[in-house]
Amino acid sequence: MSAQQLKQDSPWRQYICLACGLIYDEELGDPDSGLPPGTRFEDIPDDWQCPLCGVTKVDFELFEKPAILACDKGTVFNRQPGVVIVGAGLAGWSVAEQLRQQDAEIPITLISACNGDIYHKPELSIALSRGFEQSELVRESGVDAAQRLGVRLLPNTLAVGLSPALHQLRTTRGSFHYTKLVLAQGSKPALPAELPAAVCWRVNTLSAWSGLQRALAKGSSRVAVVGAGMVGCELAEDLARAGHQVTLIDRDNTPLSALLPEAAATRLSSGLAKLGVKFLGGQAIRAVEPRADGSRAIVLASGLSIEFDQIVAATGLVTDNRLARQAKLDFNRGVVVDADTLRTSEPAIYALGDCISLDGKPCRFIEPIKHQARAIADAVLELDSEAYAHNAPVIRLKTRSVAIVLHGLPSPDGHWRMVQEDADGLIMEQVSGEQVISRLNLGSPNQSCAA
Amino acid sequence: MKERKAMNRALVSTEVSTKPAPWADDAKVLADVAEISRQQLAPAAYRIDHEGYYPLDIMAKLGQAGAYAAHQDRYGCRYPLALATMTEISRHCGSTGFMSWAHDVCGLYMEQSGNPALLARLDDHVAGITFGGTGLSNPMKALTGIEKMALKAKKVAGGYRVSGTLPWVSHIATGQYCGAIAAVEKGDGSPSHEIMFLLDLDERVTLRACPEFSGMEGTSTWAIPLVDYFVSEDQMIADPAGPFVQRIRGAFVLLQVGIAAGVIQGSIDSIREVEPVLGHVNQYLHDRPDELQAEYDDILARAMTLAETPFDGSKDYLLDVLDLRTQGAELSLKASTSALLHQGARGYLMSSAPQRRIREAQFVAIVTPAIKHLRWEMAKLMNEELPA
Ligand SMILES: Cc1cc2nc3c(=O)[nH]c(=O)nc-3n(C[C@H](O)[C@H](O)[C@H](O)COP(=O)(O)OP(=O)(O)OC[C@H]3O[C@@H](n4cnc5c(N)ncnc54)[C@H](O)[C@@H]3O)c2cc1C
Ligand SMILES: Cc1cc2nc3c(=O)[nH]c(=O)nc-3n(C[C@H](O)[C@H](O)[C@H](O)COP(=O)(O)OP(=O)(O)OC[C@H]3O[C@@H](n4cnc5c(N)ncnc54)[C@H](O)[C@@H]3O)c2cc1C
Repeated sequence: MSAQQLKQDSPWRQYICLACGLIYDEELGDPDSGLPPGTRFEDIPDDWQCPLCGVTKVDFELFEKPAILACDKGTVFNRQPGVVIVGAGLAGWSVAEQLRQQDAEIPITLISACNGDIYHKPELSIALSRGFEQSELVRESGVDAAQRLGVRLLPNTLAVGLSPALHQLRTTRGSFHYTKLVLAQGSKPALPAELPAAVCWRVNTLSAWSGLQRALAKGSSRVAVVGAGMVGCELAEDLARAGHQVTLIDRDNTPLSALLPEAAATRLSSGLAKLGVKFLGGQAIRAVEPRADGSRAIVLASGLSIEFDQIVAATGLVTDNRLARQAKLDFNRGVVVDADTLRTSEPAIYALGDCISLDGKPCRFIEPIKHQARAIADAVLELDSEAYAHNAPVIRLKTRSVAIVLHGLPSPDGHWRMVQEDADGLIMEQVSGEQVISRLNLGSPNQSCAA
Repeated sequence: MKERKAMNRALVSTEVSTKPAPWADDAKVLADVAEISRQQLAPAAYRIDHEGYYPLDIMAKLGQAGAYAAHQDRYGCRYPLALATMTEISRHCGSTGFMSWAHDVCGLYMEQSGNPALLARLDDHVAGITFGGTGLSNPMKALTGIEKMALKAKKVAGGYRVSGTLPWVSHIATGQYCGAIAAVEKGDGSPSHEIMFLLDLDERVTLRACPEFSGMEGTSTWAIPLVDYFVSEDQMIADPAGPFVQRIRGAFVLLQVGIAAGVIQGSIDSIREVEPVLGHVNQYLHDRPDELQAEYDDILARAMTLAETPFDGSKDYLLDVLDLRTQGAELSLKASTSALLHQGARGYLMSSAPQRRIREAQFVAIVTPAIKHLRWEMAKLMNEELPA
């Protein structure tokens, strides 16, 4: 577009005399002083004088009409409240980082049930055997991170209510307005009724882990880990390496039964057994009974009762649907988000991390979070960017007894084919039609690194 | 006009008869309550707020119009209607709105007790023939761990003996009654459990005057000192009280939202009232009527949904109610302040509604459960419980 065209196309402007308030209107010009209608401000000669007070054009300034003059217009003069993020886990902080990298000004408020300290959650399932304490796992305090990023952090604050029509989030420290809201509230342990919260530890937050760590600091204990999923298997190994007597209990017959074919699961069991972990498969729990001496007995459906000093439940995670329900957001095992934009069913609300579901499936891993955060930051700041593309992350179990690497997402009832098997490990594949949908590599650490 | 006459006749006739009207028609109950509130309560609001006038005469008429019936099981458990009538009353006088709430929950205790002796007294209570309030502020806080229980009880033959002082209880007088809770002590003084009972304020009790409050002066608020007060089986609401309180808590707190709603609605009314003459300057104010109205509508819609299931015992339901009650208190403060700013000097007159509503809103915000208690409780409910 040529400069000339730009000049013609752009709307007429008005300039105000800073000395007397006279308004020069480009459309009208100043015919008395020889400026015909349509004279652009730039084209006015420098010696032109204000017809009212005689100052020259340097004392004029672009005039913008105050938006509201009539009294019946709803006046909105509040500054935009900016972005409010719920949750200071990896997901919440990642969005704050991404936003701040690209926009130094936008107000960011981070509201979190926890204290906001930044830690790497995967470390929680290997930290006991390494002798860590809570403070050693904190990479940056929430306060420091908030200062570094210019974020208003509200620690120990719980979001309790959400009204999208008002752009209002209500918390235990008052209500907040948002221009855009980002839900990064994570997921919480799904505790079956027979495992009461008051007697069973869960390892899903640093502070909960720390409680368990302190309870175990007294010395070697009898510990039950209920649930042999990824977290349960990793914790069982970690506890055993830390010197505790560990029993791993699952209602299914093998550990990690949702992910691993039997041949692989058997190797995992025996790897854990070598570390002293006793696996009790095919066992439903009927109840947990506290004992007078402070220990707890787990009563199995078979009637067998076993005593432990501590019980750790690793029976899976669920997303709390409270905010979604209040705001009538689509929800299906997680906050439903658009696969390209991470936007929820409400236009001004986004979600990411452990709390979302894509195609009805949650995906609770570290790797996707940074891409999701990036997509949300771009959308919030209205930057052009590529759509988010979800890929099932590579799963690497942090069990050192038997290294397990899984590519793709196996279907629970799909058929596994053995590709290679020897004393050190095995490689298996799941095929659907012609396509390999999942590949499993189980063996010594060296081998799986090569995979 | 014809309708109005018919209603006036109805009112006159209920004044002499002690039989409760049927109150089956929601629209009629609401219209009658609105009419009494507008025509009789609004003009009395200054006397109530300022001269400490305890408006039992007007409350009797409200009772006869069905204002205190809707939420009771025997009148159809219509919580939406109960909230709507409480809103209408509070819109014109927050003090009377608060007393109506106290009266309503007292009726709730009596009915939910299932105690035949209390059920026999319920019709008179609901019809506004007899009156009673609630002294549950301290126990509600005590049961969730905020403070200690004020009343202590000892088991004796045929009942309990209760001692201690409830600091301030409203909508009571000699000859009236209120719900109360006491901590039962075992023989050795250790705590056993709690009992809940209807405390009859008869000749055994000397009510003690309270210091002057900044509002709510017409709510007949007294301290109740008890020394070895005998509680008989006929007065028992629940023994043990714990599960009973758990069950009614949602309904107890939800009904309070009616007081907040009335204060908010009244504030918006006051703003709109001066819009034609002051709109040109009022446009510069925060919290304009449309904004307040939008938030009010949001509150009301949620209240009406929650009112469909007042005895839903889930944690999520209770959280929804606490959240709503908190938002109601916050918006009351905001709306009443805004109304005063919108009305200016005319709202600052001692006789005007806006300055009175600010004090009413402050009361909504501090009466148990106060905003701070609500937030404390929500945090407690939402935080993950871990082994000790
Ligand atoms: C023991 C363990 C080991 C793991 N190992 C691996 C691994 O090896 N590799 C891998 O990829 N993934 C692993 N994961 C999963 C991974 O850690 C999570 O997917 C990831 O940390 C999720 O981050 P998030 O921010 O979405 O959720 P979270 O970290 O759970 O953060 C949620 C945040 O929301 C806050 N919050 C919750 N509710 C509210 C509320 N109502 N109001 C305000 N704030 C609220 C919380 O306080 C918290 O700050 C592991 C998980 C566990 C538990
Ligand atoms: C006009 C008016 C009318 C009222 N009418 C009624 C009514 O009808 N019925 C009713 O039940 N209540 C009524 N109240 C009481 C009201 O609901 C509040 O409970 C009361 O105002 C005190 O609440 P608070 O928020 O000030 O107490 P808070 O600030 O929450 O706490 C103060 C309380 O904590 C206790 N406390 C402080 N420290 C400790 C400690 N270390 N251990 C244990 N306890 C401690 C104190 O004894 C005190 O009760 C009325 C109050 C007013 C002003």
